[in-house]
Amino acid sequence: MKHCFEIDGIDYPLWLVRCKDGYRLRLDNGVIALLSFSHQGEGRGTLTIAGEREPVRFVIDGETIHLHMRGLTRSLRYRDPMRALASASREANHLMARAPIPGIVVSITISPEQSVSAGTPLMTIESMKLETTIRAPRDGVVSRIHFKEGESFERDALLVSLLEEGI
Amino acid sequence: MKQLPFDTVLIANRGEIAVRIIKTLRKLGLRSAIVYHEVDAGTLAVSMADIAIAISGRTPIAAYLDIAQIIAATHKARAGALHPGYGFLSENVEFAREVMKAGITFVGPAPESIALMGDKIRARNFVQRNGFPVVPSAVEEDDPGTFLSRARAVGAPLLVKPSAGGGGKGMRIVRDLDSLEDAIAQARSEAQRYFGDGRLYVERYVERPRHLEVQVLGDTFGHVVHLFERECSVQRRFQKIIEETPSPSLSSEMRQRLCNAAVGIARAADYRNAGTVEFIFDGVDFYFLEMNTRLQVEHAVTEMITGIDLVAEQIYAAAGFRLGFAQSDIVQKGHAIEVRLCAEAPERGYAPTTGRILMLDYPEGDGVRIDSGILEGQRVTTAFDPLLAKIIVHSPTRIETAQKACRAIRELVLLGCETNASFLARMLADDGFLRGQVHTGYLDENPSLAEGDSGSALPAFLAAAALLTRPVRDSADAVPELHAALGSWRN
Repeated sequence: MKHCFEIDGIDYPLWLVRCKDGYRLRLDNGVIALLSFSHQGEGRGTLTIAGEREPVRFVIDGETIHLHMRGLTRSLRYRDPMRALASASREANHLMARAPIPGIVVSITISPEQSVSAGTPLMTIESMKLETTIRAPRDGVVSRIHFKEGESFERDALLVSLLEEGI
Repeated sequence: MKQLPFDTVLIANRGEIAVRIIKTLRKLGLRSAIVYHEVDAGTLAVSMADIAIAISGRTPIAAYLDIAQIIAATHKARAGALHPGYGFLSENVEFAREVMKAGITFVGPAPESIALMGDKIRARNFVQRNGFPVVPSAVEEDDPGTFLSRARAVGAPLLVKPSAGGGGKGMRIVRDLDSLEDAIAQARSEAQRYFGDGRLYVERYVERPRHLEVQVLGDTFGHVVHLFERECSVQRRFQKIIEETPSPSLSSEMRQRLCNAAVGIARAADYRNAGTVEFIFDGVDFYFLEMNTRLQVEHAVTEMITGIDLVAEQIYAAAGFRLGFAQSDIVQKGHAIEVRLCAEAPERGYAPTTGRILMLDYPEGDGVRIDSGILEGQRVTTAFDPLLAKIIVHSPTRIETAQKACRAIRELVLLGCETNASFLARMLADDGFLRGQVHTGYLDENPSLAEGDSGSALPAFLAAAALLTRPVRDSADAVPELHAALGSWRN
C-alpha cells in the first residue's frame, strides 16, 4: 500500500515492502534495500540501510516524526491518505490571508464587511523587529479578522478571511 | 575568596544569560534570586535560582521592563545587588538610577556611563572629541531643518539609525539617495515605536566592513584593562550569528591599536565595570561604532581564551573591589568560536519558528561549553528573541576550533522546534569563513548559505520515518513474505 510523508510542504509517496531479512522501500525515484530499524529505547535507534548502520534519535508527536540523523534534523509528517484529501478541498473554497511568519499584529487597516481589492493592505504585522504589510490576496469582502492589535500568532495562522463579492 | 558586601544577587533577566549568571553566583557562594513572568515559570533559570519571584505585565516582555516591580522583588528577596544581564533594562539609565536610589548595588557601570553611551550621538561626539576615529555622519537634532540635505551631503551608501536605538532595530541602508526620504520616514516610525524616540541620524555605510569589538573591564579606582577583541562579522540584519576570538583579520600591531583605542575610550568615560567597545574595520582603518555598557551575548568566547569569569569580575567591580590583575596578566590562549542556536528558519528569510522541545541532547567534550536556558518539554514562542542556546568551542587553532564547533552543532539533538543548526554547520564549513574572508554583508552576498539542504540524506530520513510509522509498517507486515517477494520481483 502506498503511503505518503510531507517534508516542508512537499509530499513524498513511498511503499514499504516486507522481505526476507527486513524491508525494502520503494520511492518515486528508486528502491532502497535492505532496511531494518532496531530500537534502543528513549528515542534512540539504529537504522540499517544497505548495510550501513546509522544512529537515529527520534520523537513521534502525533502524525509528525522528528528525526536527527547524520548531523541533520528533519520533521516528517505522515499524511493520512483520507485526511490529506479533505483538507485540500477545504482550502480551495476560501479566500484568506495567512501569516507568512509568526509575529504580532501591529495595526489593522480594514474593518469587517469592507470591500477590498487584490493588494489592499489588510494589516501590519511585526516579526523579527520588522514590520510587514499583509495584503488581500484577491478582491473580496472582509468577513472576519482573526486577531486583534497586539495579539500574537503562529506561522500559517489565518489572519483575515474574505468572501468573494456578490456571494 | 573576597568578602562581598551582599549575599544575594537578583537577576533581572531570563533564559540562558540568567542561567549563566546563576552559575557564577553559586561559584562565589552567593544566593541567586530571579524575577520571572508566568510564561517562564517552568524554565531552567527559574528552577535553578534560590529565590524566584513572579512579576506580571501586559506582555511577557513588559514584565521584564517593569522597573517598580523588579525593585520591589529585589527588596522582597533581600538581595543587595542586581544583575541586569543583557537586553531588557540592562542599558536603561533610569533603571540603573532607581536601583541605586533603592540602596541596591547595580552590577554594571555608573548611570552616567550608560547615559553617555546609550545616546549614540553623544557617544559618537564624545569619542570624536577624545581623538578616536568615527564614521562621517549627520545628526538630525543638530539642526532638524537641514537634516535631509546634510544627510545627502554625507553621500551614499548611508545607514539611517535611531538615536536611541540598538540591536539593529529601525536601521536602514540607503544606496539610492532618491529613497532617502522614505527610509527616514520608515525608520522614524519604527524608532518611535521601539524606543519612544523618533530622533535619527545617518552615517556613511562602510561597505563589506568587519565587525570587531573589544571587551574592557574597569574598576572604581580608574583602572581599565582590555580582554582582547572579538570578531562578529557573520551577521544578518545586524544580528550576530557567529563570534570568535582572536579575530582572523587583525595583525598583532592592528590588534594592539584597536585594543588601546578601546581602553582609551573607556578610560575617557571613567568606565567602571564590564563593557564592550564596538568598531567597524574596513581592512585598513577602524571606526568607533558604539559602546555597550553591559555583558554581551558573546562574552563567553573571551572567557574561554582568557580564563577570566566576566560575571565574577562584574560583581567584584560593582562591589568596589580593585581589579585583581594587570593588563600584562591577561593573555589570549588558543581560539574560541561561539555560534548562536536560534529558533528560526534561515531558508525562509530567518523567520522565527515555534514549537515544543521534545528532545534535547547537547554535545559534550573538552573545550565545548553550552550556555543554554532551555529544557525538554519547554515551549518555544515568539514572546522573546529566538536565541535558544550558545555553543562555545575552544581549541588551540582557528581551523581546529571551526571543525570542532561544526561537529558539536551536528551532534546537538533538538527535536520539536525547527532551528538554524544546519545553517550554522554549513557556515562553519564554508570556505570563505574558514579563510577568514567574511564581512557583515557576507550572508547577503552568499544567499545560498541560507538556502537549506532539504535534499540531502532524504531517502535515509524517509526510510527511518517509514519504519517508525505504525500504519506504514503494519501494511508492509500484512503482506505475506512470499507475496511481497513476488511483488517486488514483478516490478
